[in-house]
Formats: sequence, structure tokens, C-alpha cells
Amino acid sequence: MTSNTAGETMDFESLMHNMLRDRRRWNRVLSSPLTYITFGGLIRLTRGNWPLDAMYRMGLFAFNEIGRAFTGKAPVVWSSAFFPVELAWSLDLCPFSPEVAAAYIAGLGFGEETLTMGEQAGYSRDICSFHRCIAGAAAAGNLPRPAALLASTLLCDGAPLLFQGMAALYDAPLLVLDVPYDSGPDAEHYVAGQLEQVWLNLAELTGRRPDRARLAETVQHSEEFRVQMQRVSDLRCRVPAPVSGNDLLGFIYLFFVGQGSREAAAISTSLAKEIERRVAGLGKRGQPGRRPEKFRLLWMHLKPYYSEELMKFVDQEGAVLAMEEFNHIYWPPLDPQQPFLSLARKTLSHFAFKPVTERIRVMEDLARRYQVDGIVHFSHQGCRQSCGGALMIKEALQEKGWPVLILEGDCVDGRNEACAGMLTRMQAFLEILQDRKRMEAAG
Amino acid sequence: MITAGIDVGSLSTDAVLMRDKEVLAYCIINTGAAARAAAERAFEQVLSAAGLQASDVDAVIATGYGRMSVSFADSQVTEISCHGRGAAWLSPAVRTVIDIGGQDSKAIRVDGQGNVVDFLMNDKCAAGTGRFLEVMALRLEVALEDMGREDQQAARAAQISSMCTVFAESEVVSLIAQGVPRPEIVRGLHRSIAERTGGLAGRLGLAPEVMMTGGVAKNQGVVRALSEKLGVKITLPPEPQIVGALGAAIIAQHKHARLSV
Repeated sequence: MTSNTAGETMDFESLMHNMLRDRRRWNRVLSSPLTYITFGGLIRLTRGNWPLDAMYRMGLFAFNEIGRAFTGKAPVVWSSAFFPVELAWSLDLCPFSPEVAAAYIAGLGFGEETLTMGEQAGYSRDICSFHRCIAGAAAAGNLPRPAALLASTLLCDGAPLLFQGMAALYDAPLLVLDVPYDSGPDAEHYVAGQLEQVWLNLAELTGRRPDRARLAETVQHSEEFRVQMQRVSDLRCRVPAPVSGNDLLGFIYLFFVGQGSREAAAISTSLAKEIERRVAGLGKRGQPGRRPEKFRLLWMHLKPYYSEELMKFVDQEGAVLAMEEFNHIYWPPLDPQQPFLSLARKTLSHFAFKPVTERIRVMEDLARRYQVDGIVHFSHQGCRQSCGGALMIKEALQEKGWPVLILEGDCVDGRNEACAGMLTRMQAFLEILQDRKRMEAAG
Repeated sequence: MITAGIDVGSLSTDAVLMRDKEVLAYCIINTGAAARAAAERAFEQVLSAAGLQASDVDAVIATGYGRMSVSFADSQVTEISCHGRGAAWLSPAVRTVIDIGGQDSKAIRVDGQGNVVDFLMNDKCAAGTGRFLEVMALRLEVALEDMGREDQQAARAAQISSMCTVFAESEVVSLIAQGVPRPEIVRGLHRSIAERTGGLAGRLGLAPEVMMTGGVAKNQGVVRALSEKLGVKITLPPEPQIVGALGAAIIAQHKHARLSV
């Protein structure tokens, strides 16, 4: 936290918004490396104000990497969500997730104009807002120029198609990882073979030397990340929750961009240690200074990034995100000696890329393990793969005894949302949970 | 124990004053442009009708979209919980509540105690809400409160295929131009609302007894169309518009009783 000239204390978010308040210049500001150097400086200034020190470290890492992407010192590789980004780190490239960038753009308050630009560029409003925002930011020249684009067909069908358009726009090669719906040894070898080919092609395209020792080292970092995030997940079983799941939803950057980097391994280790210390110091009533934990929620999919109103409301009502679908570590240990096969297994093991019964099974396990009172499926409008199964998930989990709320909304586009309606749904759901607790207490 | 429920809706603000299990007074006024002032006015009206002072009231709960603006309320509860509780109080056998208000519609499932078990809410567009009927009534030059009667005169229903209020209005304009009798257009509009709301209720899973609440429940044409669509008898409360405020007053009793223990 720091002070402005009026002597008021300001957090990082306020400082950042102040800096970007001249909206006429946002176009130049977002594509300048200086912006990210300044953001890094602001993050340092506000270190004590972050809910978790690991969030501070992740913020520094993210802005440093985004800034590096704009300097052009290392070839930039765009990577879609769920693509094994370890391949890019192993070649010392600069991976860049446009989906995460879209979330940042929305969070910085530039979603509306960026989405409009995406729509003007020909992307329909029915398309996922992450993708429309990427198209708009690209049209505005706000994204770093890619040397190559890496897209995976895992879960998100829209990304490979969007990346095809972006590849044409930037005249850059697109490498697509085709992930089959079936798992098993044949599928593993099919994906592993593609990964090796992508790795070799990427090295050639970017003028890097493919070094298998360096690849093994990268996979080792990724494995450390997995182990530490699993440790975090284990620690979070504690009631009351030692950490806010809303804060951990901000670690999406590490999941989509960081895996395989030395920094992500270090940040996840520091996060686990931080939570471990919290757990050791936690009383039965929870963290001092925090609201008492009234409800424990399992949160499916992501959250609105354009506004914090919903998540602040959840917090104010004493509801804690005990666990989130996105923070669940679902993949098996990685073997650095078998990098491609390991990454293939990781890719193929995603529980949501299977019949919906598998996603239901995993959510049921998480609901039990984290002793949740209710489950919220945030239905991001553009995410057909997630929303398509929502009703089946709701019915199945309700049958097991958990109230489930399908909360329809959007992660990036706030123009089609009446926030009051979303808060009413959320409040009504918490009232259901409250009534259940009252009845249980009454026997 | 005396409690009050204030339901600040988009079109009307309703207040109910209760002493234990007896409704002392209720009122329905227009919300207008100032939700807070409407809530105060409604509260004053029910107090005056019952010959009471604000200080005589043990607890006030505000509900409805403007619930947060009611500064004199002890707490705020969503209209979803309030409609559920109010409907179950009026008829304990109620398991499904369909509330069509001015700007949204809801299907609510309740248990035997009036606790909400599940709900679905449509507030994304005006289709299937009171606002939809208002727009159409204006276009057809018929008073909103006469639409039910108009429907009864229809030999058949005109086909209205569009769910969107704006597109449906265009269809109505075309039907008028074709000389389709007004009652048939009105019935077509009621069927359109029933189609939309029936889908919402169907998704939730319909359990009898079904009660309809909210201002639109006063329109017999909509009730009949919805009953036909769902294939169930629909129970109507004596004054459907105050069920949210009634539920708020009942919840206020429970909350106050718990706090007093």
C-alpha cells in the first residue's frame, strides 16, 4: 500500500486505474513495455497489501513476462489455454496467453472498447468474449506479435479457430495439437508424437536449438509446480479455509502460462509454505480479521474479470470458495525422462474432456473432500463445453444432496449483464444454504 | 409481534404489515423513479391503515430489486425466498411458485416449510414479464387490466412466434394491419408468455401444487394459458401482487423470534 498526494492509501488496483485513466491513450499504453515495468514498480510498492505474498510474486512474474513479450527480446509464442506450454519454456521462448491477456484487459477496465473492436473485426457477439477480446486487442495492436501460435483442441474448440485467424493477421505459423476424445496408450502415443513434432518445428521456426536436457529440466519444473499445487490443495481441506479461493482463481496465469518455468515452481512452493504457516497459526475461528466462514462453496469454471462485484459480495456474505474446479490438480506425476509422453498423459487426463459423468464424479469427490455446503457453476456464456453439461451436473450433484446454482454470466463481457440480477441469484442461493443449516441445527 | 415486509419492485412497491399470523394492512403503490421514497411511502400507508407508529413495528424486511435502498429495514432478503415463504404460508401444499413480475420471471421450488429448494430466474430480457404485456397493451390500445377480459372474447389465438419483446411488437403491428381481431392477438400474446414461463418452470421441474404470484397473475388470460401449457391447475392467492411483501413480513417474524431468544 502507498499514499497519494492527498495522503489516502491506495492499493495496486487503484494505482493502476489512476495511471490508465486517460482512455484516449490506452491503445499506446497497453502495448508499451514501459507500462509493465511501471506495473512491476507499483506491485513492489504495494507488496504488503496483497492477500498472499505469492500473489505479489505472481503479479511481478506476470507483468515482467508480458513486458518482455512487448520488448521483442525473445521470440513470443502465443499459447492457447491447455496447450502444454512447457514446450515453449524449454526453448527459452516467451510464452504469451492471449486468453489471460483478455482477462487482464477486462480487469483493467478496457474490456468494452476492446470487445467492440473485436466485433467490428467480424467476430460475432455469440463467440466467447475471451476470443472477441483477443481479436479486438489484436486489431488495436495491443498484443505482442507472435513468432508462432500454439493451439490445442482440448476442451476449447474456439481457440484453434481464433488462432487460425490470428495466424493470418500476424502472418505467423500456427501449430495445432489435436487431442483425441479417447484416452489409452494409443491416444498417449498419438499426442506424444505430435508434441515432439511441435517442439522440433517450434525450435526451427524460432531459431532455437532443441535441447532434450533443457526439456527434461522444464518438465521437472512443471512437476514441482504440480506437487506444490497439490500440497496447496491438501492444505485447503482445512475448515475454516486457510485461504480465499477467489484469490487463488487469480493464479490462472501460472496454470496457463507458467507451467514449466522456474518461477512458477518457486511461486507455487512459496504459496504452499505460506498456506502451511497459516494453517499452523489458524484458530478454530479462522484467520484473525477475516469474516467468520458461514458457507463453503465449490466453484466451477471461472469468474467475472471485468468486475469484482460478485466475488466481493460472496466474500461479504461470509461464503468462501473452499475449492475451485480450475485449481484442481487432475493430472498424474510427470517424468522428466519421458517428457512428451508425460505431457501427453497430462493433456489426456483432463476430467472435462470425457463424458460428463467424469466431470460429475470429480466434482462430487471435491465437494466431499472440501466439505462444501453448495456448488456454483459459473456459466461463462461463450464456453459451450462447460455450459453444455451444467444441467446434468446440477441434477446429479443435487441428487447427492448438494444445492447447485447455475450462475449465468460472462468472464470478460459485462455489457450483457445486469449485476443486480446476478447478485440476487447468488444471495438467494446463500439463503437456501442458510435455511439448510438452520434446519440441520434444529434437527 | 408486529412485522412489516416491503417489496420494492420495478413497477410497484408493496407493503404488508402483520401481527403474528394476521395481516393488519397492505398496500400497492407505484415505485416511480425513487425506490427509497416509494418504500417509505408504502410503509407509512400500511402504518396509517393499521393505526400504528413505526416504533410499534418489531422488525422490517425489505425485498425486491430495490431492497438495498430501504434504509429503515432491519435486513434484506431476496424476492425469491420471500415469494416462496409467502406462497407456502398462504397454501402449505404449494411446492412450485411461478412469479411473473414487472421485469423478471421466476420459478421457485419450495419444501413443506416454505424454504426454497431450487429456483430459476429470467431477467435477461423482457419477454415473459409484465413489461412485455405493458408494451403490447400500449400498442393494442387496451388497458393492461382489461387484457384478461379481452382474451375471453377470442375464438382462437393469433400466432406470435417471436420471444423478443421488440420482434413480438412488430408481429402485433402486422397482425393489426392484417385485420386480426384484437382479442385473438391478446390471446396469442398470453400464449407467448405461457410458452416462455412454462419453459422456465419445466426446466426447474414442476411439482404440484403450483401457485402463481406477482402482478401478471391478475391477468386471467395468462393464468389460463399457463395452466394449459403446464397441464396443471394453478392456485391463485387473493392478492398475487403482495406475496413477496407478505413473505418478507413472515421471515421478519422468524428472524426476530430467533434474535429475541
